[in-house]
This record gives sequence, structure tokens and C-alpha cells, in this order.
Amino acid sequence: MDPAASRPAVVIDNGTGYTKMGFAGNVEPCFIAPTVVAINESFLNQSRSSSKANWLAQHNAGVMADLDFFIGDEALSKSRSSNTYNLSYPIQHGQVENWDAMERFWQQCIFNYLRCDPEDHYFLLTESPLTAPESREYTGEIMFETFNVPGLYIAVNSVLALAAGYTTSKCEMTGVVVDVGDGATHVVPVADGYVIGSSIKSVPIAGKDVTLFVQQLMRERRENVPPEDSFEVARKVKEMYCYTCSDIVKEFNKHDKEPAKYIKQWRGIKPKTGAPYSCDIGYERFLGPEIFFNPEIYSSDFSTPLPVVIDKCIQSTPIDTRRALYKNIVLSGGSTMFKDFHRRLQRDLKKIVDARVLASEARLGGEIKAQPVEVNVLSNPIQRFAVWFGGSVLASTPEFFGACHTKAEYEEYGASICRTNPVFKGMY
Amino acid sequence: MILLQSNSRFLLQTLMNRVQNLEKGVELDYNWFEFDDVRYHIQVTMKNPHILLLSVSLPIPPPETIFLGGLPFGAIEAIKAAYGTLVQILDPPRDGFNLTLKINLSKLPTNQDQRYALLLKVASVREVVLGAPLRVILKNLAKRTVAPDLSPLVALVHRPNESFFLVPQADKVTVVYPMRFNDSIDIVLATSFLQEFVEARRTGGLYNAPSCTWSLSPPEELKEAPAHALSANAGFVTFVILPRHIEGQKLDRTAWNLSTFHAYVSYHVKCSEGFMHTRMRRRVESLIQALDRAKPDFEDSKITSQARSFKRMSLKDSKSRNNSIS
Repeated sequence: MDPAASRPAVVIDNGTGYTKMGFAGNVEPCFIAPTVVAINESFLNQSRSSSKANWLAQHNAGVMADLDFFIGDEALSKSRSSNTYNLSYPIQHGQVENWDAMERFWQQCIFNYLRCDPEDHYFLLTESPLTAPESREYTGEIMFETFNVPGLYIAVNSVLALAAGYTTSKCEMTGVVVDVGDGATHVVPVADGYVIGSSIKSVPIAGKDVTLFVQQLMRERRENVPPEDSFEVARKVKEMYCYTCSDIVKEFNKHDKEPAKYIKQWRGIKPKTGAPYSCDIGYERFLGPEIFFNPEIYSSDFSTPLPVVIDKCIQSTPIDTRRALYKNIVLSGGSTMFKDFHRRLQRDLKKIVDARVLASEARLGGEIKAQPVEVNVLSNPIQRFAVWFGGSVLASTPEFFGACHTKAEYEEYGASICRTNPVFKGMY
Repeated sequence: MILLQSNSRFLLQTLMNRVQNLEKGVELDYNWFEFDDVRYHIQVTMKNPHILLLSVSLPIPPPETIFLGGLPFGAIEAIKAAYGTLVQILDPPRDGFNLTLKINLSKLPTNQDQRYALLLKVASVREVVLGAPLRVILKNLAKRTVAPDLSPLVALVHRPNESFFLVPQADKVTVVYPMRFNDSIDIVLATSFLQEFVEARRTGGLYNAPSCTWSLSPPEELKEAPAHALSANAGFVTFVILPRHIEGQKLDRTAWNLSTFHAYVSYHVKCSEGFMHTRMRRRVESLIQALDRAKPDFEDSKITSQARSFKRMSLKDSKSRNNSIS
């Protein structure tokens, strides 16, 4: 038997905002680090002269540039403390955009964070349901060629999010996954472990937009935040203080009546001068998450609230799965962590569904009574890394190793083996 | 930065977390792996939140290495010397592991710096245990003696079923690594990397570094080694460690670098593969750009005479041409 199969698989969930990595069989990822690479490009921009003596110096500079980079929190602090590093975000809107940076990111994840030998472990990576097969091929190429992994499985993150709930309660592989990450929001219906591809809906509003909106609100109110730091401050404010309200008007009144209770203070230090500053955090606490429910306050391009998108998504699936889908709506991704997010979603969705039931009853003249539709939005404490946890559960089953693409297969057929997604073929 | 740190990053993070939230009795049960098949397990129960059980399993030793009770020689003493009263060695260790340490977090020093230093030491448990025999030999070298009970060729485990060899002498220690790789590409890269490595040692500025040689055939020192240890597909690397390489503070670093030399090389091989791919990708992109530039522009091609003679014209095209002529 393959010795690598006796060791736990490495599970890496690369999100737009954060990457979750760890070993299968555990309940928590080892590390949650921002998906960002700080690259020192000062070497590359040196003047190019053709003299021979300079060639060696340039060669060495190139080698140094290859080695001189940081990822995660280190990258953020490096870029703040010196100007030589440029930040590069390899994943945009859930898709890998910069493969060089991504390869470096993986290299550091494996060797410096997890400190494991990639030849010793099977790997489970994740992708969004709308990833192109070419990008899956690229991933396979990097994993097999560079890191020599013995086996690789690329899972769809929404299915993993559904699998995360699988152990805690019952084996329910039918449901709608509402995945709100930092860069992308998808509503993915899954029936018996199969993704209903034609019904996937995307929303162009995600966690990053909440951050941008908070930043915009604070800037418009002329809060005393240094401009170079304002995005980071907005992100921290979002993560620490934002919550979902049930009614905006009431919430505004509450804030106005008792400002002492609702308005928070933010203290920071200006990165350039080192002087301390403080600012108030007010309405953005509930207005930030509100853009999912009333997108028109943020952008004029997209104005369909998230509950309506979910409802449309379920209405477009086969009729016999709809009841089951309404019953099991699973949240995943860091941007669903706002307090009471699931309650608000459930209430709004219930309203839409009930209105439709009433309308159809009225149309039929009260002759037939419809059975009430059960709407359930589930939330659980591990929502932030639900996808990772699902991957950990999946990768610790014995069937997992059989479902992987192996190194031998890769060498026989090439990168095209990664094109087919096993999710759409069989075995969740 | 390309050097591997001696402490396990995750273990250090967990310990620091734990110490900062000691009152919160959160249960913890975690299994993880490191390179060269070192396995860790950490456990904290609700009942005793300040007692931490840390188990380590080492790579399977080949027959020629000396293991006492599942640990390399000198390891028990090294653990006691490094951690003092903080840890207690449990006997027998947890099932499937070589060593279980019971760490009492309430015995940590109160001084922040000392506490951090000690936790860092705990996180480097791998260095303490696996590097113990190496350190014993190097310490003897510092005193310019050879332990009398030691055989002239000492084998130490560094990868599962693989060992490297030491020839301790009074004035120097020769360290020989048989290098093995699984993948054919890795073998090629590793061989050329090691040749470069030896070459680099000869350049100026590095004359203080230990002298280093590489050969495809086993060197003289390995005459008495068992035959199965001599099948190396990427050659043999030999270092000669002199007393000046292990003076004072340098000892720990030298011991760590020597015991993880293979991991260091394989990390480098993987990185160079990665960087080669980066170069290849860049090259392909620039070639595609060049091709795109060479592509005849559709609008222009209508005008050039060459395009006219080869292009199959549609009805619309010919009409518009007739119009333009007339």
C-alpha cells in the first residue's frame, strides 16, 4: 500500500481573503492566514546593461528576488514597514489570477507553515463552483510537477460546506449553500451531493464590498483615519463590530437615542508618524452587512437582495427538490459571521415564500390548502472555516484516497485528468 | 529565510495561545506531521487545563542506528537538561509514539522573555530529541576527545529507514550523507545543486565554512557501513566539522543544520522546480505576445494585396469592393 495514504491528507482551502490550512482528521485548521504575497521587486527593475560582468550580478539578483518574499500576516507587516515589498493578492473573486504568486504562496504554506514534505501526503484543495477547467489543470500541474504530491483531489467548496454539517447532525447532502467569502458570493443548490450546475447564482457583492462600504462611510463622515491605513481599519471594524439589524429605521433611532451604548471607539497608531489617533464607529456597524439585504445603498449596478437571489435559485431547481432545499440552507464563509445574519436571512426568505403561497391560494380560490413550506437557515460556530472542516471530514474517509488523481495517472495522461470534476461525475 | 526553523510553527502558536488563555479550559486534541515523518500529537483535557500532553513519533530507524528504548542515545539527558522541571517524561509513551512529555504550564517562569525562550525550546522538541546524539559527539569534539565506548562509524537516523554517518575523531568529525530522491527529475536537480553547493564553498568569503565534498561513489569513510546504506542515487555529501564550527552558541545551529541537511536540499530542489516553472510561464507568455503581434490584423489584411489573393471572399466583401472600385 502507498505509505502516503497512511498519513493524513493535507487540506488547504484557498479563499480570496484568508487561506485555511491543516491536516485532515482534525477539527480546526492549523493556520488561518491572509491570502497575500509580499514580493520584493526592487531587484527586477535594475538597469539592464549587456556587459558580461553584470550578468552574474543580475543573475544573483534574480535568484534573490525569487527567494525574498513573504506570505500571510508577515507579508502585511513587511509591506507596511518597508517600501521594497509589493503586495500581490493571487486570488481575486474566488479565482486564481496570478499563478506565480499562487505557487509561491503554496510553497510557503507547505514548507514554512505546515512544514511537511509534500511527497508524503495526499492533498485536498478547493475551488469555487464556477472555476474553469483550465485553472483546475494549472493547479494540477503545479501540484504534481513542482511539489510531486502523490495524489490530489480538487473539491468544490460549497459541497464541502455541506459536508461539514454532515457529521454533526444527520447525513443530509441536499441543501443550498450560501457561500459569502471575501471576494465572491455564490448560492449553490446541491441535491444528494450533486451540484445543480444550471441553478448556481452569483452575487457581485461579497465581504470585500462590505469593507469598501464601511471605508466609504467613514471617509464621508471625515473620521480621523490616515488614508493609507483606512482599508485595514475598515476591515478590522467590519470583523469586530459589524452586526445585522432587523430594521434599519429602528436601528437608526436606537443609535440616536443612546449613542453612548452603540457608538464604538477605534484607536490606532499612524503608520508613518507613529502618532496615536482615535475615531468613532457609528452607523456603519449595521449598514455594512445591510448591503446584502438592500444592495441599492451600495451600488446602482446590482439591486437584488440576497434572500431574493436565494429564492430565485431554489425556484429554478427541479420541483421535487425545492422543499428539501428550503429546509436546509447552509451558510459558509467568513462574511456570514455577522451577528444574527442567519436570522435576518431566514425571516426575509420566509416572507417571500409565504407571500407566494398566499398568492397561489388566493388564485385557486381557497379550494386547495398548500402545506406550509419549511424554511431553515442553519448557522454553526465553525462557519468561518466550514469548507475546511468539510474537507477534513471528507479526506479522513478511506474512500478519499481512491477518489484522488494520483501521480501515476498524471504521468500517464497529463494535466487533463484534472479537467473532469469528480463532483459532477459521482462521489461527492 | 530558506533555512528551516528548528521550532515547529504550529506547536509554538498552540503553546503561546494556551499560555495566554490558561483560565479558559478549552479541550484540545490535535495530530499533525512534519517533514521526515515526524508526527506530533498534543492533548489537553478539560479536567487539567494546565497539563499538556505532547507526544512525538520519530522516523523508523534503520537497523544500523543505536536506539535505546525507542529514542536515540542521549535524548533523555538532553530533554532533562533542556526543560528542567517543566516537563516529565511519561513511561510508557502514548501508543504509536516514541516519546510523551507531560508539560506543566503552571511551572513556567513569570518573566515574559524567559517564558518565551522556554516555550520556543519546547516547540523545538524535535531538535532536542533527534539532535541529541549529534550534540553529544560534537561536544566531545569541542573538548577534543572521542568517547571511548563509541564505534568508529556512528549511524544516525534522519529519514524513515535512512541514516547518515559520522566518523568522530579527536580533532574533527566527518559527516557523510547518502542522498536519495524518489523522482527522476529531483535526482538530476539535486545532483547539480550539490555540485554547485560544493563549488560555492570554494569561492572566497566562505573559507570559514566546513569543507564539503560530493562524490557519486561512497567515500572512504563508509567502508564498514552496511551495504543497504550505500545505495544512494544522488551521490554522497561529506562535511568536515572542526572545533571552531561548534564554539559556544554555534553548536545548536550546527547540530540542527546537520540533522536536517536532507530536508534542506529537498526543499531547495522543490523551490528551484517552482522557480523554473515561473520562468517557463513567463517565457510562454512573452512568446504568445510575440505571436499575437505577428498575427495579421483583420482590418489591415483587406487592404494588403497579399491578403486579397489568398482570402476567400464572401458575397458582402466582393460587393463592397465593387462599390469602392466603381
